[in-house]
Amino acid sequence: MGLARCCPTLDPHLPLDGGGWEGVNPQKNRIFGRPKSMVQFIIRRLIAMILTLFAISIVAFAIIQLPPGDYLTTYIASLSSTGEQVDPRVIANLREQYGLGEPFYVQYFKWIGGILTGNFGQSFEWKRPVTELIWGRLGNSMLLEGMAVITMWLIALPIGIYAAVRKYSLGDYLATVGGFLGLAVPNFFFALILMYLAYTWFGVTLGGLFSPGFENARWSLPRIWDFLSHAWAPILVLSMAGTAELIRILRANLLDELKKPYVVTARAKGLPEWRVILKYPVRLAMNPLVSTIGWLLPALVSGSVIVSVVLNLPTAGPMLLRSLTTQDMYLAGAIILLLSVLTVIGTVISDILLALIDPRIRYGGK
Amino acid sequence: MRKTYLGLTGAVAISAMLAAASPVWAQQQSPVLDAAVESGELPPVAERLPSNPLVVDGESVGKYGGTWRMGMRGGGDNGIIVKTVAYEGLVRFDHEWKTVLPNLAESWEVSPDAKEYTFKLRDGVKWSDGTPFTTEDIAFTVEIYKDPNYAAGSWIDSTTNPLTLDVIDELTFKFTFEKPNGMFLENIAGTDGLHITSLQKKYCGQFYPKYNENADADAQAAGFTNWALYLQDRCSWGFETIRFSNPDLPVLYGWVIDQPLNANAARLTWKRNPYYWKTDSEGNQLPYIDNLDMRVSESIEELTLLALNGEIDFQERHIATTVNKPLFFDGQEQGDYHLGEVIPSSSNTLVLQFNMNHDDPVKRELYQNKDFRVGLSHAIDRQEIIDVVFTGQGEPFQVAPRPESEFYDEELAKQYTEFDPDLAAQHLDAAGLTEMNGDGIRLMSNGQPAKITVDVISALRPEWIDILEIMQLQFQAAGIQLELNNIDRTLFYDKRPGNDFDAQIWAGDGGIEAIQDPRYYFPFSDESVWAYKWVQWYNGTKPEIAEEPVDWAKEQMALYDQVKAEADPAKRGELFRQVLAITKEQFPVIGVSLMPNSYSIIRNNLRNAPESMFNAWLFPTPSPMDPVTWYFE
Repeated sequence: MGLARCCPTLDPHLPLDGGGWEGVNPQKNRIFGRPKSMVQFIIRRLIAMILTLFAISIVAFAIIQLPPGDYLTTYIASLSSTGEQVDPRVIANLREQYGLGEPFYVQYFKWIGGILTGNFGQSFEWKRPVTELIWGRLGNSMLLEGMAVITMWLIALPIGIYAAVRKYSLGDYLATVGGFLGLAVPNFFFALILMYLAYTWFGVTLGGLFSPGFENARWSLPRIWDFLSHAWAPILVLSMAGTAELIRILRANLLDELKKPYVVTARAKGLPEWRVILKYPVRLAMNPLVSTIGWLLPALVSGSVIVSVVLNLPTAGPMLLRSLTTQDMYLAGAIILLLSVLTVIGTVISDILLALIDPRIRYGGK
Repeated sequence: MRKTYLGLTGAVAISAMLAAASPVWAQQQSPVLDAAVESGELPPVAERLPSNPLVVDGESVGKYGGTWRMGMRGGGDNGIIVKTVAYEGLVRFDHEWKTVLPNLAESWEVSPDAKEYTFKLRDGVKWSDGTPFTTEDIAFTVEIYKDPNYAAGSWIDSTTNPLTLDVIDELTFKFTFEKPNGMFLENIAGTDGLHITSLQKKYCGQFYPKYNENADADAQAAGFTNWALYLQDRCSWGFETIRFSNPDLPVLYGWVIDQPLNANAARLTWKRNPYYWKTDSEGNQLPYIDNLDMRVSESIEELTLLALNGEIDFQERHIATTVNKPLFFDGQEQGDYHLGEVIPSSSNTLVLQFNMNHDDPVKRELYQNKDFRVGLSHAIDRQEIIDVVFTGQGEPFQVAPRPESEFYDEELAKQYTEFDPDLAAQHLDAAGLTEMNGDGIRLMSNGQPAKITVDVISALRPEWIDILEIMQLQFQAAGIQLELNNIDRTLFYDKRPGNDFDAQIWAGDGGIEAIQDPRYYFPFSDESVWAYKWVQWYNGTKPEIAEEPVDWAKEQMALYDQVKAEADPAKRGELFRQVLAITKEQFPVIGVSLMPNSYSIIRNNLRNAPESMFNAWLFPTPSPMDPVTWYFE
């Protein structure tokens, strides 16, 4: 029990929906009654998922509408700050063409109705269908953040296991100090330092994901190489805080497990030490890692907005930020909604994975 | 009597004579176009150029080639495009921002009552697709600007002073205004003039129902609800950002779009326009530089590092902050660039505007009281602010024309700027703030403490908050409480028509272009926040909240109406000085310090780029400094 509950309180990035992850908590399942089989379990999760998405769409749309004014007032304001002036008749015409004068619920139903038919609306700023704009960005986000997650796990797992097994050794202390540093240094600041060091030491400007020649090229080996030669910096930055956090969680969980009688029994039966550790306690200690797969994406997207702006990455974060500041509401709404969909899907996947690796959850028992 | 301005500079006249005298003088083009000409894809350069090309010379004759690299701030930064590529109107300014010179119009005539303007276009100018630029395009532009479905708005479809167009022949046309419009040439020599030369009839007409009966069906086939939205996407007006995401749109610029701008673009690139209509005095077709490369970056840090690394060839915009100056100064050798001087058009680092039309009668009376403002002005220790916030750059200054302006008046610029707590106290007492509460805050006539909530957008200029925090302490010492309200830009603008503010902060626009943008000198436009309701009475956009101004403001408005009607610049200046004299007497807004000079990053191998230039929106530098004549050594 303690294991599955530890991480939500540790993790600062709470998911957008309050309900999804709680499914890993066996007590919660009582609402639906005790599931009889894996299939039932999955069907329940899927129904919950659809209801959650519907709720999210309302909340997302309401939040986008909260700031005073609309896209056009932002547009006027930004023009005025450069000394430009706009004729109010222009604005009146645009407001009519964009349908911005209509009441909230009319706008919402138009929006959600369009989405059900695959139309996410137009971006005001780019005068283009939103679907044309977001996929490339979301793809970049998932690629980059997926790589950051893999890096995070590759670094954190061995170090976390080592730190737990060799508790209070020099290596543990180093991992602890490193971990706290990683947690304490803000990502964007680390990015700035990297940029400055790259400039002063190597005369290189870090930024973007591709060299000029490769931006619009098709994927090929040289392009992959070019991508990797740019992507190492954001991957390093994005994985830093997460790595530190994972090390701490894994170490704490594993320490709990290592003391348990079944470990002693396994040792007594003469299993080799690495097998004793990897086969049972590590598997259980991974539990919270698996249960948070679903939030990795939104956490990384929202947590990486500033990093992406600083490093000028063509990911979803800066586009979301910009569309929110310009009140380009259909664009912002689409990104928020899609991120939520991904979060919810991720949560369902992690629920299923958890059920697979942990029988206590599979059977909803205690 | 009609005044004729023969739009010919000396250089043009001489080169025209030379060209006539020596027909052997072959016109040159960039080598990158040779292959296309040889294959017959492009006509030879002599056929692409007008019979009388506009001759523009830099300090030295350049050579072709190279890419000018610069940085855009995010996707919506059309400002930098106006400032580098898109400044091609009928007329243009000279380098000193004083005289109006011919550009696409070869010459013009102005009627003595300043109502009729007759322009003659340069013969043989072609759009970037090779189609001739004629009065048909002008007529089409006027026509669709006046169509309410096309949401553009500018002087072309103005309702306050409507114009009619008479096309005289293929190259000559006449604008007739209902009311005198004495500053028309100066206005269209600035960014406003880019509207009338922004649309080609042949290309844009295909999206307009009058010239294509299937326009609506075409729009729907392309995924747009109606023709108007499709037209605005393909042929947006003036210098709208969205124009630069359509590489098919014919233009009259020196460079045409290669990789267009869109929401996912990492850069916007341009290649030379083979039909560009300017040459140097040796007959070389301009521009010298073949390509432009605009890095699209949300990251100021990245742009700063690019400049430090020598990966930006000329730029002032975005990166030239006060904080960055030492960094750029130290990096000159490593980055192989040097710093040029940039003189801002803005007069002041911070303008404190009290809401003279406040709904609360007590506050309204107080804010309208000149002694109150004079007292506060004397309570500011400006030198302290200059030293702390601007590392000593600048001088105490009111909101007034800059020393570089023809309207500079030392008294207007310097009055009430000395820090004098006693004098401040005298004036505040005279304003009726004689009583104080236990916290040392003066009491207004209704017994409430004199607390001013001032709205500011720190995201726009971070130093505003630094200045205000110092001013807060200085006002506190004088017995006035200042409360900072740091808000978002949209809310900032929403509060104006709602009349829901004590005071707002902005920078001192109109330091050079005083006569075009006198927002702080009298209630002139919606940006004259200090007298928003009076503006509505004069010419504002929200007549429903208009309020009759006080007499002195009405006098200024009447004088400015005369300024607008006067075609003679000397008389106009004289009238405008009378407006400023009233400003000096009434002291409507409080300034802090003269906006310090900025700087540009100039790569050491870039030639003909200006070592010193103004920076303004109406004078969109570096464009008026003729970047088409810049070249790489």
